[in-house]
Amino acid sequence: MHQQQKLAQLEEEKIYSLITELTNPANREQALVELSKKREQYDDLALILWHSFGVMAALLQEIVSVYPLLSPPALSGQISNRVCNALALFQCVASHSETRGLFLNAHIPLFLYPFLNTTSKTRPFEYLRLTSLGVIGALVKNDNPEVISFLLSTEIIPLCLRIMETGSELSKTVAIFIVQKILLDDMGLGYICATYERFYAVGTVLSNMVNQLVETQAVRLLKHVVRCYLRLSDNPRAREALRQCLPEPLRDATFSQVLKDDIVTKRCLAALLVNLSDNVVTTN
Amino acid sequence: PQSTQPPSIPIPPPSHIPHTPINLNIDEGITNLAPFITFNPNLSIFTNQPMMKKIVHLAIDRAIREIITPVVERSVTIAGISTRELIIKDFALEPNEEKMRNAAHLMVQNLAGSLALVTCKEPLRISMVTHLRNLLLQNGYSEQNIPEQAILIVVSDNLELACSFIEKAAMDKAVPEIDESLASSFSNRKKHRERTGQPYYDMTVYSGISRYMSNLPEPLRLKPNGLQPQQLRVYEDFARIPRLSSHAAAIYDDRNSRVGMHRGQDFPIGHLYNTAEMPFDGSQIHIPITAHQ
Repeated sequence: MHQQQKLAQLEEEKIYSLITELTNPANREQALVELSKKREQYDDLALILWHSFGVMAALLQEIVSVYPLLSPPALSGQISNRVCNALALFQCVASHSETRGLFLNAHIPLFLYPFLNTTSKTRPFEYLRLTSLGVIGALVKNDNPEVISFLLSTEIIPLCLRIMETGSELSKTVAIFIVQKILLDDMGLGYICATYERFYAVGTVLSNMVNQLVETQAVRLLKHVVRCYLRLSDNPRAREALRQCLPEPLRDATFSQVLKDDIVTKRCLAALLVNLSDNVVTTN
Repeated sequence: PQSTQPPSIPIPPPSHIPHTPINLNIDEGITNLAPFITFNPNLSIFTNQPMMKKIVHLAIDRAIREIITPVVERSVTIAGISTRELIIKDFALEPNEEKMRNAAHLMVQNLAGSLALVTCKEPLRISMVTHLRNLLLQNGYSEQNIPEQAILIVVSDNLELACSFIEKAAMDKAVPEIDESLASSFSNRKKHRERTGQPYYDMTVYSGISRYMSNLPEPLRLKPNGLQPQQLRVYEDFARIPRLSSHAAAIYDDRNSRVGMHRGQDFPIGHLYNTAEMPFDGSQIHIPITAHQ
């Protein structure tokens, strides 16, 4: 027992010394590597990162320092790794219930948007977008209305939509997860269905994804697409529009083989089709 | 990169911006950019026709006007909020309002400048090309003989110049705004000291975070005797955020030594790259972020 306590104490001292290194630009890169590896092992890391003097400021410098390499695209693998390790620490802060609100309140997620706005297909950029989406994903995970209302006041939806169309499969999955979480919130659904242009933008991207999924059969992505459509069908006007524009592959048996073992998604799809077939209730 | 230590109060002007007082009143026009506009000497169209230089200047001027307001407002607002929140937290036990103000200025100016730059570059390039095309069409060129290549080159050659104008505007606007949003933090410190002779501590902030302090090592801890010079360095580092691609690359190459780098020794030539339309209504820079101020 005593031995174990001693080890825990040593480990804690190591964490503190790594966090101290973050505030020194010369030692930051190595400290970022080691801390992002340890972030799962230490529950209070988010609290220490936030409350330690200068650490958030130093991490913000890491983010902003790569802006000049975004356009024209000039991000090397090593620099991308480095900034992604800083993003991993932001993700840790975004995940923790006691720091999430502080992180939002300081508007730090907005400094990640220039990363989401890049379009280069190279690995360093793909990795940068995926990791940045991960931070936003961590924010929306807990269905917190404050998070959704913050995100709706920003450009996150168009950014996610573009990644859903052009990103790697993994990025697409995180991006649609964020959009799905926004839709699941009542305010989010209302926002997206408030104008035809917004609904159309989301609907077009979802429909393009369905057509791609006929080829790729990526089941993980398909689940999210079905969930998004089902949720859209909760809104009367969107439901009306979807009766006209739900992609054919979702109506016929195109995906029955892929969804064979996925009862939940099969049920969602069935519920969606039931919602859309209901012509009587909406007439008034 | 320079290997010398940076000065203790580094507020370098962005040195890739011409060192003349730029007139920020856009209503009066941006005429003073004219002497800094670059024309590739191999393009005879610019050397032979003096009219062309005026048209290029006008196109740059119009492109800047079109973009500057939303970009600067957005960048200054976001940078101001982040700066306010982090400064209030980190300076809770710092009784000297001048140290607080200096750190806040360095942070907000450089965050706002960086955000403005990264936000405006692509829209500005597109807008410069559009305005230049339209002006040429109104001045004797037709769709058939419009000098596309020359347009792209002159826009590329002057993109950094136009961007740095917007960057500078954001940096300048950020300072009075942060002074206003931290005004009570500054005056509380001053008043308390003048009235009681004692240093001021922001206990409303500190009581929320004090329980995290006891375990922290010295450099990470807030203490009643104020912040140490080594701690303040973190905020001084905001003045060393690179703005040009070449400098960013150099900083990462040189990161083993603390680089006291000054911005702006050269102008890399911009490339042309893909632009993707934002699929939502309107361009991304027009969506306000007012809901959370």
